[in-house]
Amino acid sequence: MEELLQNLILGLLLGGVYALAAAGLSLIFGVMRVINIAHGAFLILGAFIAYSLWDDLGIDPLLGVVITTPIVFALGWVTYKLLVAPIRTAPMASTVLLTFGIALVVEGAMGEIWGNNSTSVRPSYADESFTIGGIFLPKAQLYGGLLAVVVLGILWLVLTRTWLGRAIRAAAVNPSSAELVGVKVSAVAALVFGLGIAAAGAGGAITGVLYPFVPGSHYQWIARLLAIVVLGGLGSINGAMLGAVVFGVAETMTAAYISPSWATAVPYAIVFAVLLIRPQGLLGTRLREDAVPA
Amino acid sequence: MTGAATAEVTPRAATWPAWVGRALAVVAGVLLVAYPMVSDDLFYQNMLILSLVFAVGASGLNIISGFAGYISLGQGAFVGLGGYTIGVCASKFESVNPWWWVPLAGLVTAVVALVLGLVSLRSRGPSFVIITVAFLFLVQVIAVNWVSLTNGTDGLSLPLPTWDRDIINWPFYYVLVVILALQLLLTWWIRRTKLGMGLIAIREDETKAATIGINLPVEKIIAFAASAIFVGMAGAVYGYYLTFIDPRGMFGILLSVQLVLSMLIGGKATLWGPVIGAFLIEYLNELANNNFGGGNVRLFLFGGLLVGVVIFLPRGILPAIESVLSWRRTAGKAGLVGARIGTGGSLASITDRVQKVEPSPNPAPLLEVRNLSRRFGGLAAVDDASFVVPEGSITGLIGPNGSGKTTIFNLIDDTIHADSGEVWLAGERIDGMRSWQRAHRGLGRTFQITRLFGEMTVLENVVAAQRSFSVRQLGRIAVGGAEARAAEELLEYVGMRAFRDQKAKALSYGQQKMVELAQVLMLDPKLILLDEPAGGINPVLIERMGEMIRELNSYGKTFLIVEHNMPFVLGLCNPVHVLARGRTMASGTPESIQSDPAVIDAYLGDDFVLEEKAGTP
Repeated sequence: MEELLQNLILGLLLGGVYALAAAGLSLIFGVMRVINIAHGAFLILGAFIAYSLWDDLGIDPLLGVVITTPIVFALGWVTYKLLVAPIRTAPMASTVLLTFGIALVVEGAMGEIWGNNSTSVRPSYADESFTIGGIFLPKAQLYGGLLAVVVLGILWLVLTRTWLGRAIRAAAVNPSSAELVGVKVSAVAALVFGLGIAAAGAGGAITGVLYPFVPGSHYQWIARLLAIVVLGGLGSINGAMLGAVVFGVAETMTAAYISPSWATAVPYAIVFAVLLIRPQGLLGTRLREDAVPA
Repeated sequence: MTGAATAEVTPRAATWPAWVGRALAVVAGVLLVAYPMVSDDLFYQNMLILSLVFAVGASGLNIISGFAGYISLGQGAFVGLGGYTIGVCASKFESVNPWWWVPLAGLVTAVVALVLGLVSLRSRGPSFVIITVAFLFLVQVIAVNWVSLTNGTDGLSLPLPTWDRDIINWPFYYVLVVILALQLLLTWWIRRTKLGMGLIAIREDETKAATIGINLPVEKIIAFAASAIFVGMAGAVYGYYLTFIDPRGMFGILLSVQLVLSMLIGGKATLWGPVIGAFLIEYLNELANNNFGGGNVRLFLFGGLLVGVVIFLPRGILPAIESVLSWRRTAGKAGLVGARIGTGGSLASITDRVQKVEPSPNPAPLLEVRNLSRRFGGLAAVDDASFVVPEGSITGLIGPNGSGKTTIFNLIDDTIHADSGEVWLAGERIDGMRSWQRAHRGLGRTFQITRLFGEMTVLENVVAAQRSFSVRQLGRIAVGGAEARAAEELLEYVGMRAFRDQKAKALSYGQQKMVELAQVLMLDPKLILLDEPAGGINPVLIERMGEMIRELNSYGKTFLIVEHNMPFVLGLCNPVHVLARGRTMASGTPESIQSDPAVIDAYLGDDFVLEEKAGTP
């Protein structure tokens, strides 16, 4: 029973980290209808930046999120302006290929800068843990999960309580009308792309403390994040959060009770099953198809 | 007839003299066949063998991605499946000559592709791309974990070739050349048949394709099998050639990326583009591996190329060259697009297909809608609607915006599934049928915002409609014979024959409306649903539209028309059904509708006076 409870808590904490990264992916899709395959690559980039801050400057990787996130935000913003903006009106499949290309370039760049060896960020508390009533909680997992929830909360406040948030939602629903009432959609899109990527970077800084990583880890991450987002419903941020928690718990349970090697198949199987059975995901809505403008 | 006579029709193949292409292909083929005999440089032989494998892979991908528009990042899995089929079989049955497993590999791969084809029935666009990535990784995970069959991450070794070392690469090389030739033959054949035209229609607008009678599942599943069978064979030869296979090499995502990139850079939906792309990309790949140490450089190369191609060369090399050539050829000549729409021919030339019919005094219902409902979340767009369209009538369906008129059309032709209710056409219940089955039973429909296949020519758009379905028919030549003649006559009738060879996307809205009408007529439907035929077109065309509807009606076509132009509807239609809040609130003759106080209150308004009859069509 205690073991089950412990796995449940660990799964929930992991779900918090997943939620942060997946929320960014969902935000980008929701506003600009771009499936950002490079999301996993920027997540790993966040982990590497946190690693450098910790290894070279001795900055705690979790507290270092305040430095990591703006750096990744800026990279996301520039990426959008340079590469994504020119093909904003292209079919969705083109943007999938484009962001896939970006992912490969980022992977190659990380390999050049940090090397292709397994890297891990191990602050002093990495091996410590709390024990509460027989439940064993590693500190890194606890801090990481809580930090993810805090960052996610800030993101949520930005989206729901600020003018920028309203502009983002307006641009998501109807870009041309938003433009008419004074929202500069191209600027908002760049900000959204930056914000979404920044969420991935923050998530990466946290996961760097939890797992070792290499530049090529981004494939697993994008598979996992897509599975989460698809599970929750493409474009629905609340859905992404729900999907992330379900996914975190499911993954922890599979690894603990079935087999870690087959646990890697879980995300792919989920993507398959969800897209076939309920393509709109848990909280997504189907759009009217007949009303597409010419 | 004036329309066709005044405007000269530009020939279709104005872009590329056919003999240049053929000569280039022959030269390339001869060079390819002769190469191993004149050079024994193993580096280049190796590069060409790999290029051949990727050329087959990219050409196969072209069938589903280039023609049908389903972008797949899982194509590499078919190469890997071919490799694993030969690897597993060769290690289980050591006495059998491994070459026998090559056709089997094609078969196994085609069967797996059928599964992916089934997936494509339920998801499209970005979801499909995601699914293909998941498919690739899932296959890889299975190859890693099913150790008893695949030997896991340790991989499988194949028997070494037994033939003379001097010609060690020849068998691999020539078998691959043959496989590539077969693949290209298949691609060429598909492109010029009904199957290929259906696939392109699916790429352009799948929902619309279904409403003009294109059988989506059969076409897509055939396409998926066709995209994989030779790729599996090439994968088997590839595995035999490498003599060692493992999950990382055979199911790596970069292999799939290389195939997609080859197709895109050469030009998707072209015959030779993917082949040219494959040879080019493989050359660059070898260059990166040998001169710059592979690894990260390869990532930069592929990633950078992918980004560059998507942004700067979205259509690929061959189409870019063709459009430059055609631009130079047509420079200075006035385009046709602004020309007047012809006044149209008469139906006389197509009366062998359409019989003049005397209206029956007591007509049977042709279309009957019973208790049809459809909710969107909390909104009941259509709520228990029932009405009848008598055979031989021109029936009107009017009502305020949002009253559910277009949704009813969508439910009648299954563009949207109904929640409940029945639809009967000519005494047959059709509500369980899919769009193309309804089209084959005599239902034609135009859209409020026209939906033509933008990349197809006007003539192709009309010919794309399929009146019936049989697998054998899919193999018929797409544009030709009696069908093409009938299509031209229909275009003449709607006054659009002069625009026959223009791409549909170049036409104006009013012109598109006329072409869409011709397209629907090509189905030879019993019942034609017109969604706002008079909306957004000029008064002359509105008048012409009214004439055509009347004339077609006199030849036995029944119409159901949604329209907001009251003089048009009330002058043309009888009976008229009035829709409000998703249900029929009144039905009757135009006169009774105009004086019905409930209709005036809900829709027409107190001040509604039908203008003097002279202004009506």
